[in-house]
Amino acid sequence: MTADHPHAHAEGPNYLWAALLPLTAFLALVWGINQHALPWHLTLDWAPSLGLAATFRVDGLAAQMLALITGIGALVFIYASGYLAHEPRSGRLFGMLLLFMLAMIGAVTADNLILLFLFWELTSLTSFLLVGWKHEDAQARAAARQALLITLGGGLALLGGLILLAQIAGVWTLSGIVAAGPSLHADPRLSAALVLIMLGAFTKSAQFPFHFWLPNAMSAPTPVSAYLHSATLVKLGVYLLARLDPAFNDLPLWEFSLVGIGTLTAVWAAVLALRERDLKRILAFTTLSALGTLVLLVGLPSPGAGLAVAAFMFAHAMYKAPLFMVAGNIDHATGTRNIDRLMGLRRLMPWTAAVAVLAGLSMAGLPMSFGFVAKDVIASAKAESEVLALISYATVLVNATAVAVAGVAAVRVFWGPPEAPPGHVHEVPWSMRLPPLLLVLVALEFEFLPNLADPLLVAAAQSISPGLGAMQAATTYSFEGTLTALEITLGIGLLLFLAWDRLHALLHRVHWLDRFGPAAGYEYLLHAIPRLAAWQTRHLQTGRLSHYLRQTLAALLLMGAGLAVLSSATPRFDWPALLAWPPIAWAWALACLLILTGAVSALFLRQRIAVLMASGLIGYGSAVLFLFTGAPDLAFTQFAVETVLVVIAASVLPYLPAAKALPRPGKSLDYILAVAAGVATFMLLLHLAGMPENTELAAWFAAHSLPEAHGRNVVNVIIVDFRAFDTLGEIAVLAFSLLAALPLLAGLRRQRAMSSGS
Amino acid sequence: MKSGSVLLERAAPLLYWAMLIIALAILLRGHNEPGGGFIGGLVAVAASALLAIILDPAAALRRQPLAPLRLAMAGVGLTLLSGLPAVFLGLPYLTHLWSGGWSTVLLFDLGVFCAVWGTLTGYLYPLLEADPR
Amino acid sequence: MMLMLILSLSVLVAASVLLILSRDTLRLVVGLAMLGGAANLMVFLAGRPGSVLPPIIAAGAETLPAAANPLPQALVLTAIVIGFALLCFALVLIANLARQDARQDSDALRANEPVATDPIKPPVMEP
Repeated sequence: MTADHPHAHAEGPNYLWAALLPLTAFLALVWGINQHALPWHLTLDWAPSLGLAATFRVDGLAAQMLALITGIGALVFIYASGYLAHEPRSGRLFGMLLLFMLAMIGAVTADNLILLFLFWELTSLTSFLLVGWKHEDAQARAAARQALLITLGGGLALLGGLILLAQIAGVWTLSGIVAAGPSLHADPRLSAALVLIMLGAFTKSAQFPFHFWLPNAMSAPTPVSAYLHSATLVKLGVYLLARLDPAFNDLPLWEFSLVGIGTLTAVWAAVLALRERDLKRILAFTTLSALGTLVLLVGLPSPGAGLAVAAFMFAHAMYKAPLFMVAGNIDHATGTRNIDRLMGLRRLMPWTAAVAVLAGLSMAGLPMSFGFVAKDVIASAKAESEVLALISYATVLVNATAVAVAGVAAVRVFWGPPEAPPGHVHEVPWSMRLPPLLLVLVALEFEFLPNLADPLLVAAAQSISPGLGAMQAATTYSFEGTLTALEITLGIGLLLFLAWDRLHALLHRVHWLDRFGPAAGYEYLLHAIPRLAAWQTRHLQTGRLSHYLRQTLAALLLMGAGLAVLSSATPRFDWPALLAWPPIAWAWALACLLILTGAVSALFLRQRIAVLMASGLIGYGSAVLFLFTGAPDLAFTQFAVETVLVVIAASVLPYLPAAKALPRPGKSLDYILAVAAGVATFMLLLHLAGMPENTELAAWFAAHSLPEAHGRNVVNVIIVDFRAFDTLGEIAVLAFSLLAALPLLAGLRRQRAMSSGS
Repeated sequence: MKSGSVLLERAAPLLYWAMLIIALAILLRGHNEPGGGFIGGLVAVAASALLAIILDPAAALRRQPLAPLRLAMAGVGLTLLSGLPAVFLGLPYLTHLWSGGWSTVLLFDLGVFCAVWGTLTGYLYPLLEADPR
Repeated sequence: MMLMLILSLSVLVAASVLLILSRDTLRLVVGLAMLGGAANLMVFLAGRPGSVLPPIIAAGAETLPAAANPLPQALVLTAIVIGFALLCFALVLIANLARQDARQDSDALRANEPVATDPIKPPVMEP
């Protein structure tokens, strides 16, 4: 298998042309935005009988997501064609990337809640396949499974939340729910719905305590990380929260959860970033930090927060995707991502270094970068909404870490003396240089010509904060105060950067983080499930038939009792009918006597043949009853069966072990179960006898038997005509039972041959 | 398994045919009077059992149109076939058709008869072949 | 009289359950057959037996006067035959089992159960 040698120098197929698909979509999007005013609507019939329509809606926020999905998608496809040039299986990766892209497009354009959920889960599934692409690698498999379990688990919560929300609002579209807005607040079920939806969004966007799947997913190939884990997939949770925010942003539950969890995630991830040495994982932790910041911003109630979300989401994608590509280039060229072994790559990889510096500037939020604009908007949003001082301090720490990480990615690995210059290190091919460069240049252009990006950002912001006026948004670029805050942030960031190794050593010694963190909890749960299964298997599945029968019977009786209690139907005992003398009462009495005698003697007789014959008494009792209650067909059938049974029983018994008296049946527990079953039967039948009889079917059969089926014996007509299909199935079962018994009968014949031979 | 009684052994085939005719009569009249394929089939089984006990299973087998499993399968096949004519006339499967005194219902009931007769004699004969001890 | 029949049926069900739970395979099979018989009678009872007239349309008549309910009869009739075939099959089965293990103990039927050293599945019962 060549798959074991990803860097083998065989040329794999080149899939550069695949980039045409997202590129075309991107150009169509740009053209569409210029030609037709947002929002766009599309409604397709889905299941009209259920009142379901597949509704799609593209507003400012969706358009921004679409621009990221298709635009960055095109560049990632170009990048991947270079990154996977020597990979024979790259076709599959391109196929899955394409499928993922379609799922993302569906998820951000779907207006129907069920459609949204379906696309949401499809992104989880394709992401699982992409993260686990190197399926020979156990670590990649574990990471893929972890991402899948967490996001699908969250997806289930989301489904519950969406259904509940739709029931509360009475509409199945996102736009309808947002339009209903505050009128939903009074419903007591709303809190549950929102908690479930937040669970779905938090798992998708890797918020604390579900954050750990994202760094582990870094075992995916770099194009996947640059696309899924910086620009698109992980923003989907933030997208949904932002989408619903206009309806719920003045609910304390919503606001406090988003601000609290967002801040916690941002800070926690910033601290954990310092514990890492792997460049890609460091970037993943800062991505977590950014996602936390985004959730926090969505939670802020001020109208400016909408603009902050839109701007930061955009800025983050524009610098983080190039930085992931930088990490991929370094990995590709040197074979390592460990920052201890990377130094002075500037001369060897000048293009990559240039990208790193430009993207790093934006990440640090320095002036002259798009990141600066975003930071500025965020600062004004916070100023507007009177955030707690604690959150402000947290933000400074988070931003300072971003500065330090930008320093690591852009300065530390490229500057300084080349440490043990690896001879074979060389700059990567143009297909891996161009996409990140284009991204940082576009971001730079937006900084100098904000008019280009403004319409899209403002449109997106207005989807999140409908109260935001266009003029207000345009004048928000104020820069007041930003510079002072920037100085503080930069100062702390510089200190962090310089003290990186010492801080790392310090944090690395804190072992309890590994032992008691949420990731450890996940591992514990993952191993606890099979342990629990083993425990319950050992206790329930004992391999003894009598245990299974007892369990089944007890469960049935409990269910019956539960139903009886829950239905709270008053039992109706029709005593006159129960005590009335039927015609030919002596036949009833004889039938009862035969049945009782048969039942009791089958129980207490100690010889096998006697037990079998006693059970025959029950058949004869039934036959007597049938004969005198207008059921001659049944009586004849039952008599014939009992007669043949005698023959069969007599011929089978010699095969059973020699007559030894059977023990007394049952233990005390069995007697309890038996009495319970008897009592349950008694109550059920009493209740049944008291219910009004429904004679509709009987009357129908009686009326149609002769005119339509030309038969006077209604029972036979039902069997062979009205319910002929049932009868067909029954005699087929009969015949196939013989087929199944043939090997058993042959076994008996062999036994006979052996015993007569010996 | 011979009974040992010469009289019984001579009378057994006669008894068998008589019971079989009764069984067929029960089958035929079943649509209008008590009876039908299931009961007729059981009576036929009783007839076969009688012969197998008094003479031996091979003797009963010889007087049966088909061996048990084939008889049972042929019965299922007959019921399956009886529903087909309706399909050719564009009616739902198993809609029975009548023409004078004859009908596909009779075919269906004959199938039931054969299935019951075949299945139960299939259990009986191997068990009756010889005493294991 | 109906009450009497209901009582008898309840006793029948209780006795069948006790037989099913006993570990002797023949009792198990007989118990199942008895439970089947009880079920047939319950279906029959649901049709409210009372009339002694069979559901057969008299010559000259077009429909049934007050006669027994035909539907439960049709259901029970096929059930009797199927139940009998099941009983035959079960008897042949336990006769075969007797070849392997003369104890006729249902708990001893472990040919397809996991071995004692299996870490998850239950250990073999002590004979």
